[in-house]
Amino acid sequence: MKNSYDIAIIGSGAVGSSIAYHLSETKQKDILVIDKGFPLAGTSGSTQAWVWVHPKTPSWYGELNMYSAELYPILEKKIGDVEYRRTGGIAPFFSESDRKDALKLAEAQAEAGINIDVLSRKEVLEKEPALSPNIAGATFSQLDGNVNPFRLVELYIKAAKKNDVTFSFYNRVHDIQKRKDTFTIHTEKGEFAAKQLILAGGPWTKELGNMINITIPVKQVRGQILVTEPLAPLLKHTIGGIRQANNGEILIGYSKEEVGYDRRTDLDVIHDTANMAVQYVPDLAKANVVRCFSGIRVMPEDGLPIIGNLPGLENAFIASMHSGITLSPIVGTLMSELIFDGETSIDIQNYDIQRFEKMKA
Amino acid sequence: MDQSTIVCRCEEINIDEIETAIKMGAETFDDIKRLTRCGMGPCQAKVCMNLVRQLIYDYAGKPLSDIPPARLRMPLKVTRMETLASNDSPSSSSSVISVFNESASNQGGDIREK
Repeated sequence: MKNSYDIAIIGSGAVGSSIAYHLSETKQKDILVIDKGFPLAGTSGSTQAWVWVHPKTPSWYGELNMYSAELYPILEKKIGDVEYRRTGGIAPFFSESDRKDALKLAEAQAEAGINIDVLSRKEVLEKEPALSPNIAGATFSQLDGNVNPFRLVELYIKAAKKNDVTFSFYNRVHDIQKRKDTFTIHTEKGEFAAKQLILAGGPWTKELGNMINITIPVKQVRGQILVTEPLAPLLKHTIGGIRQANNGEILIGYSKEEVGYDRRTDLDVIHDTANMAVQYVPDLAKANVVRCFSGIRVMPEDGLPIIGNLPGLENAFIASMHSGITLSPIVGTLMSELIFDGETSIDIQNYDIQRFEKMKA
Repeated sequence: MDQSTIVCRCEEINIDEIETAIKMGAETFDDIKRLTRCGMGPCQAKVCMNLVRQLIYDYAGKPLSDIPPARLRMPLKVTRMETLASNDSPSSSSSVISVFNESASNQGGDIREK
């Protein structure tokens, strides 16, 4: 293993490995990816992995998610079968009084070209008969879907390796220094030099920022999920909160807790999640649960991705976001444009880290 | 026993698939699980865990005591959803939220100027 590279990426989850793959497509750069553990041991391996677009606001953020979802079929042709399915997405509401907000959402998202139908109870049940008749309606979009996160990250890495990217797993970064034009990355397995540095550390982004004296305003948020045993096909769509995987198992959960890096599950959230399952899909009462798990997601303080250059430190970049699975194809593409061309095909100014300074001012 | 011998009966994962994951750099049962689905089925690794640890030992030469067990999670054995559900609706303080309500409450909540 060499000690000197053009680009070092820290983090080998969906975001970091997508960036590595997209940068490697031209085979012009020597690229190293460093991860403190093994791929999928963190956030990317503990998710329902919706490719989720329609309820994401503001509309320009929904638009970014839409572009990323549109890239999935092309990505799959390049890196292999990641079990991407554009199922369409349904976000149910239970009170007729919510319809007003649903129509407002549809109107706002239409500005960005995101088509949302606001469905009546009858229309929801026609689309997805397993949903509860207590549902008043739902927002629906063709754009949403899901993917197998394990296949996704594995195939990003395999494709990147084929393009000569070097991966170093179980290699924690202790410190990062910059002298002249070179970053020196001190790790458990030695020192590595790189001309450009990309932070893609997910929930550990803040610690990585501290090493280069940049405060990265992100939080850690826990989500807990229940998994059933494989069931006969029950759900055709990705439901806001629930989806059925290719092998038949159903994943349920939409919880957010700020408890630091604590990956335990707890009974209160399991209860509430099981209630949600039965409330949305009554037949799930009889389903067997085989496992509960939790994942820690990174959440920028305003909920929106941080993508771009790091201020005051030339050749240092960041990609830190909550919806890394949905966004990994577009973020890999944009970072590769930023590094090769110095500019991106889509304006990413809204995602610049310096917005937080402006908010304070 | 050959490369096609099944290690995980629930997900039908064989020795060859386990070894491929180890070659990619997997060091623990859970590393292998996420790449192969070994141990993700209804028995939740009760059958395959020590077989896989033995394979890691055979392949990587690490002492068995240094190869951590699979992470166990609730509910430990298959449990009906209705048993886990408490029947009452989630309290307002619940951290389980509705996707719809979350996006609806963000409406017009663009907290910074464009």
